[in-house]
Amino acid sequence: MIDSSLSSLGAKVVLTSSSDQNHPSENIIDGNTETFWISTGMFPQEFIIRFAEPTQISTVTMDTYNVKHLKIEKNTSQSASQFEFVTEKELDCTEGRLQSNAISLNGGSATHLRFIITLGYDHFVSVHRVSFRN
Amino acid sequence: MVKLRAKCLLFGDAAVGKSSLSHVFYRDGNLFQKNYSMTTGVELLMKSVTIPESSDSVELYILDSAGKEALLESCEKMWGEPSLLCLVFDLTNEQSFANCSRWMERVQAHCQGLHVPGVLVGNKLDLSDRREVQESEAKEWAQSQGLEYHETSAKEMINCDAPFLTLARAFHALYQERCETIQNLGPG
Repeated sequence: MIDSSLSSLGAKVVLTSSSDQNHPSENIIDGNTETFWISTGMFPQEFIIRFAEPTQISTVTMDTYNVKHLKIEKNTSQSASQFEFVTEKELDCTEGRLQSNAISLNGGSATHLRFIITLGYDHFVSVHRVSFRN
Repeated sequence: MVKLRAKCLLFGDAAVGKSSLSHVFYRDGNLFQKNYSMTTGVELLMKSVTIPESSDSVELYILDSAGKEALLESCEKMWGEPSLLCLVFDLTNEQSFANCSRWMERVQAHCQGLHVPGVLVGNKLDLSDRREVQESEAKEWAQSQGLEYHETSAKEMINCDAPFLTLARAFHALYQERCETIQNLGPG
């Protein structure tokens, strides 16, 4: 039950569908909720996290803002392709504070996790922290 | 530096000049199609607009929809979650202006209660002797709907960039505002 920052464990964000130099994708996995990655318009939006090695994950915890619907996919290959569906979730709107959610991933190991934000409560959504428990 | 992306709905009565307007903007005023060809589905045009006094830009994905009622239903399927609205009427056709309220209601159903910046465009400014809608009247209605008002002539290529620049700026301003809000959020 260790909740450490992903970047310190060698994980990387290898793809994002939006980029703003002021809010880089590393902010998703730096363990800090004060920094964030933000989408820059239209849906869906997505980002992919790669682990240094196949990793057992039971739960992902996410701090986000204005995300309405989220889909998570994973794979166990070396390349960021051929994902399989894991779970999806409708998040509540939390005006003025972050959305904090723990999402069960049904166990199993993964080398890549793909997060697809299909809808938001606003034109722009932000992701402040993603961390895992194994 | 950031590149924003906005889905911009272009809508209004048939034959008011929606496609002409977007094509003149898209091609930097190089071409005005002299013969009318009705848009029967949805046409997508993308153009990037640089925001003045910044290194930021907004990519406008302009969805030009058929104005004819019979063809509209299939177009509406692509209207989900718009970022920006561009409602066009014909300055020489009172009815096309009167129908704007109905158009707004129709589009609003796809906005999911979100604030979506928009413009109202009175086109065919070149046909001044046939004008049926006065500027003050159109401006007043636009204001009541929270839209900015522009008059254009796609035929004479007058002012055609202005509505789209207004939209790009509005979207950029909204983004900056949201970034600031998010920066100051409390923990969950």
